Amino acid sequence: MALFLAYDLANNPLNTNEWAFPVCEVLHILGFAIGIGTITMVDLRLLGIGLKKESAADLWKGTFPWTLGGLALALITGPLIFSSDPNLYLHNASFKFKITMLVAAILFNYTIHRWVALKQSPGGLAVLAGLISLVLWASVIFGGIFIAFV
Amino acid sequence: MSFATAIRESAIVFPVILSLHLTGMGLFGGMILMTDLRLLGISLTKYPVSDIVNGLRPWKHLGLTLTAGCGILLLWSKAAIYYPNPYLHIKLALFVLIIIHAIVFRGVYRNVADLDRSPVIPGRAKLAAALSILLWISVVTAGRWIGYWEPKGSPVNAAQVFFK
Repeated sequence: MALFLAYDLANNPLNTNEWAFPVCEVLHILGFAIGIGTITMVDLRLLGIGLKKESAADLWKGTFPWTLGGLALALITGPLIFSSDPNLYLHNASFKFKITMLVAAILFNYTIHRWVALKQSPGGLAVLAGLISLVLWASVIFGGIFIAFV
Repeated sequence: MSFATAIRESAIVFPVILSLHLTGMGLFGGMILMTDLRLLGISLTKYPVSDIVNGLRPWKHLGLTLTAGCGILLLWSKAAIYYPNPYLHIKLALFVLIIIHAIVFRGVYRNVADLDRSPVIPGRAKLAAALSILLWISVVTAGRWIGYWEPKGSPVNAAQVFFK
């Protein structure tokens, strides 16, 4: 919090350049669409309802660099958008919900989700992990949109 | 009260539809990218082109239906506000290009099993994939810009209209 006290919002390029903010938003949307879309491919396989010709482990490995790249793009542009008006976001209930879900979703993705996807015969765990992953990431998207409406 | 008015005036319905519009993009965006990257021979090359393209097709369609369906509801609910917006016109023109793309390259996507028998992926398929990525990035960009245009001489801020 103290970090923001000496920070003048009026000098932030996002607030002085007409194009900077929407460009960040477009990259944020593209990043999460790629990141979450590729994670969903693994989820559909874990749930046993899609991409059945491929193994979950192959899908995890094949999508890995694109998932990471998409999430990285969203995680770079997200804090930039946040920097345009930190106090607005810090006091926004939907933003707090989104960040909580985001941290949970990323931790889940690179620990349990990864472990289950790479496991030889995950059984019922696969369905559970796929469902949790879908709910977590959908919560992040809804939380993000509702920032502008609460 | 009409259905469109109900969407526009509800505190919860408009953002829920907007969230579903974005959720559909999350589903569709990642999958169209992986389809195109497989056609380009960049990703998931362990599996035949047809397995990836056909396996992703129903989910891609689900994502597109969700995104387009919610997009139409959003547009309909504020039709008079969006109508003069040039970025909406650009976005609609891009959809015309996407339909033309689908017609021109229908041979690539319809006969995807032919690609499995081909030792190298033909340039035509790679061109289709590259253009597809370019077109969809353009659609997202034009879509986001709709929220930033404001009509001349009007005190109404379009971004505020979009987010209120």
